[in-house]
Amino acid sequence: MMTCHDVIDVLIDYLDQVLTPEVAADLERHLAGCEPCRAYLATYRRTRALGAQAARLEMPDEMKARLRQFLLERVG
Amino acid sequence: MTSDEHGLLKDAAAGDSVALEALMSRYGSRVYRLAYGITRSAADAEEIAQDVFLQLVRKGGAFEGRAAVASWIYRVTTNVALNKRRGKRREVETSLDDCLPAYEADGHRAGSRAFLVADWSARPDAELLYGETRRALDEAIDRLPEHYRAVLILRDVEELSNDEVAASVGDSVSAVKTRLHRARMALREILTRTLGPPA
Repeated sequence: MMTCHDVIDVLIDYLDQVLTPEVAADLERHLAGCEPCRAYLATYRRTRALGAQAARLEMPDEMKARLRQFLLERVG
Repeated sequence: MTSDEHGLLKDAAAGDSVALEALMSRYGSRVYRLAYGITRSAADAEEIAQDVFLQLVRKGGAFEGRAAVASWIYRVTTNVALNKRRGKRREVETSLDDCLPAYEADGHRAGSRAFLVADWSARPDAELLYGETRRALDEAIDRLPEHYRAVLILRDVEELSNDEVAASVGDSVSAVKTRLHRARMALREILTRTLGPPA
């Protein structure tokens, strides 16, 4: 029987869908009866998405122009 | 990637400005994102992007076609950014230990019931990505060690596989997964402290 600690340790593999079917089934049985772990999984998954959204930057246009100029001066 | 990217790299290295422009268009923001993610400084990220693209055009002609161009660019960017951060890390980074889950002896998580069951995951982006929560998220990202931020960007933003991230940062897959998991757990914990009931 998995503990909450066991579940959290393998969440990364659970989200990557690389757990063996037996371990995934154990984890899902634990989740069915454990509200804190269900909350943990939901917020862990959302954190992954939020972190990605927060970090999804584009290089600013003026910086692109400076980079282009910098390289053309040295390469062209 | 692909033979056409290898061709672009070699053409750019030979002084072809059209090929250079294509590489910049394809990789400029990816290099900037990773460099900013590691250094958390737009000025440093700009210098790193200049250094990386200069290396691409100077060394791209000798690039071995067996490897993916993207992995090589990510590896060069990571190395340049980590070198730039060397000596600065103590100024802004602290231990993550107090942001990781704590457990009782029986394997249950420690903390108040209200905190443990706090689930803010259904709240809309508009609430989570702006204001106080966004500040908490940015501060939490700042607290991560730079190697952790590198894998977070490569895995969760660029959506590389664990193997590709490991090749890009020069670490084992196991180290990449450990860092990624700890980074996500720390961010989750800090967000829950901001959004949920007291621990």
